[in-house]
Amino acid sequence: MAAKSKTQEETRILLGNAAIGRGIVEAGCHVMTSYPGTPSSEILPAVVAFKKELGLDTYIEWSANEKVAFDNALAASMSGKRAAVAMKQVGLNVASDSLMSSAYTGVIGGLVIISCDDPGPHSSQTEQDSRFFGMFAKVPVYDPSTPQEAKEMVKEAFELSETFQIPVILRPSIRISHARQNVKLTPVEKLDRPADFEKDPARWAATPRYRLVLHRRLNETLKQIQERFEKDTRWNYLVEDGDGSSLGIITCSMSFAALMDILEESDLKGIVDVLKIGTPYPLPQRRVADFTREHEKVLVIEETDTVIESQIIDKSNVLGRLTGHVPQEGELLPSVIHNILADFLRENGAAHLEKISDTGLADRIDELELPIRRPTLCPGCPERAAFYAIRKALPKAIYTSDIGCYTLGINLQAVDTVLDMGAGITLASGFYQAYHQDGNDIPIVATMGDSTFYHSGTSSLLSAVYNNARFILVILDNEITAMTGMQPTPGLGVTADGGEGKKVPIEGLIRGCGVTWIRTIDSYEVEELIELLKEAREYTLDPDGGIAVIVARHPCLIQYPEARREISIRVEVTEDCNGCRYCIDYFECPALRLIEEEERIEIDRKYCIDCGVCINVCPRGAIVEAVD
Amino acid sequence: MKNVQIILAGIGGQGILFSSRLIAEWGLRSGLDIMGSETHGMSQRGGSVTAHLKLGSFRSPVIREETADILYSFEENETYKSLKFIKSGGICFANLENENRFDRKVLDLLEQKEITFRTFDASGTALKIGSVMSANIILIGYSVGTGLVPFEYDDLKTVLESITKKAHLETNLKAFEIGYKAGRG
Repeated sequence: MAAKSKTQEETRILLGNAAIGRGIVEAGCHVMTSYPGTPSSEILPAVVAFKKELGLDTYIEWSANEKVAFDNALAASMSGKRAAVAMKQVGLNVASDSLMSSAYTGVIGGLVIISCDDPGPHSSQTEQDSRFFGMFAKVPVYDPSTPQEAKEMVKEAFELSETFQIPVILRPSIRISHARQNVKLTPVEKLDRPADFEKDPARWAATPRYRLVLHRRLNETLKQIQERFEKDTRWNYLVEDGDGSSLGIITCSMSFAALMDILEESDLKGIVDVLKIGTPYPLPQRRVADFTREHEKVLVIEETDTVIESQIIDKSNVLGRLTGHVPQEGELLPSVIHNILADFLRENGAAHLEKISDTGLADRIDELELPIRRPTLCPGCPERAAFYAIRKALPKAIYTSDIGCYTLGINLQAVDTVLDMGAGITLASGFYQAYHQDGNDIPIVATMGDSTFYHSGTSSLLSAVYNNARFILVILDNEITAMTGMQPTPGLGVTADGGEGKKVPIEGLIRGCGVTWIRTIDSYEVEELIELLKEAREYTLDPDGGIAVIVARHPCLIQYPEARREISIRVEVTEDCNGCRYCIDYFECPALRLIEEEERIEIDRKYCIDCGVCINVCPRGAIVEAVD
Repeated sequence: MKNVQIILAGIGGQGILFSSRLIAEWGLRSGLDIMGSETHGMSQRGGSVTAHLKLGSFRSPVIREETADILYSFEENETYKSLKFIKSGGICFANLENENRFDRKVLDLLEQKEITFRTFDASGTALKIGSVMSANIILIGYSVGTGLVPFEYDDLKTVLESITKKAHLETNLKAFEIGYKAGRG
């Protein structure tokens, strides 16, 4: 039985992801799992914060990867508990095997999957639309347009999931995840659900013959959910001030929010009717068909892809991405929606809306050619030191790399490929075999961060070892998941809510994958690392050799300021500097600045943290330890 | 009070997010709805940071070009990049060492759009009081002093007191006061 606790109602300014975390807590969720990734990373920490604030006993874990997170949450749900799993959109690719199958087997306790999309993309390798995963796997999707709505949708998603015994996806886009809004908090539901897994092998271990039965059942369930969404007016509604215009817009999520602000601010309310969709899959088909029938022209504005548009059956008067009226890629920023709306109104003779275009001001600012701040590794970052050494030791190698801060090794010309999590190793192995087949054993250096190695390094590495591949793997171990905001890794032995976990040292995993040549070194020891890399190369060429793994370890200085040099090495640039740019191009430290007029380098003290690594870099020896 | 849209722009480490929180909390206490967003580049330090803040009745967390009422800019290049967001008749408060160095043509274009452009050397002032991190609070104090923004001195000061960590309270209040006095002129 559900019992409501008597906490007072309160309003707080919350980040969208914190609002989602709050929704998870308010729904009485028992188990929350996640793997960090922008824009989803703040959801789990918000659940931890609310758990501590409210004295709850929620089980929370950072899992090794998204599939692991998914399965752990699913098992809790199979035991009758409520469970949530959060990840970024490409994380759902990793968890997709489980998602597809669990749609068939279904759930017992509510299971909510939060997959955060990144149109833009701001911090991802694709602009993929998680709502399509809902369609693909045949599970319902909620699509929030504000943090407040996201919180309420999470709660309803749990209820829907339990009612229909199906996993449910919440798809916030990055602007919802990273919005801040005053959010109304409501009391936390307390659900007493001791784990109670009821054995039913025909369902939970279904063979293909029964899978057909499950699929039929799933299709029936989806029809019932669609009927429920047809009647829903909480998330799917006509905006009231639409007054029978011949033009209609169907929209959702952030695009809906931006459109409504534009109509309001431009005094265009009533010029178009707006149908807002919060449950894009399964689409409430009758509601949408009524809307398209009642309007001469209907424009679909949705992010990131064509989930609503594709599902519309009669598209004869429907405009959108498929007709070229909405850009096929990139984020639908308010300015983009403004211009789409202006064109739509003009083409249909409805109203004049001045387009946002290059004004004199924008032109003039373009002329100023302001410097662009490209993302770069922090001053003193140990990965910079490692990349420099790699490039110096083996300048002709193919450099396969991976996802993390160290992707920025591309700036040091020490990263040639970035595909997805784990591909630093798999591509290295693949390149080796492709060249080796021709009798050509070229140098290959794979780089991978610690968290990425725990995420998906082991299966790649053991497969490469087993198949006799030869390359060098440098694990850049900064003892944290830095890029996404300092989440712990299995190497740390600290759990998601600060408890004690069991440490899983990286070297043991590497050994377990069958590698015998393993060396550990401090990334700051550039000269030694260069020598070690040369040794490693020899080992990959030795008849009795194999894959060589170097663990280049030095803690991230942002997370661990104490990892700075105990005795700082203050550097200065001597008269020997001729402004050749070598240090800028191959070391790229923000503290090294080229003074073009004087053709020399200057140390910017604002940024320099006295790590002294750049002393190794200058070919003329012009960067030296300062004599005070 | 009517709706207000504010942009705060600068680079990492300048306290953009704290400034945004200060104004948002003020809005919440004034009974306004809050909607905002933050964008930061991938780098931890020194990258562009922009906060959009909408007080009043809004749905979207992102401000469109030519609609912001107020721009606070804490760094020169970020000022140039963010000017496009200000509406005709809006205001910009820019942390600038020397206004004479600012592009003349841009200033003319701002004038054509009747945008008020007020500059103050908040960083220099912060350095003088021995707290380089306080330039953000000095510039906000300055804006309150000019009387061109909707926040009253006492109200904003109360919020500042309540959200500042104890260790920084004295410095922040001093910074606010100095900025305010300079703004009053």
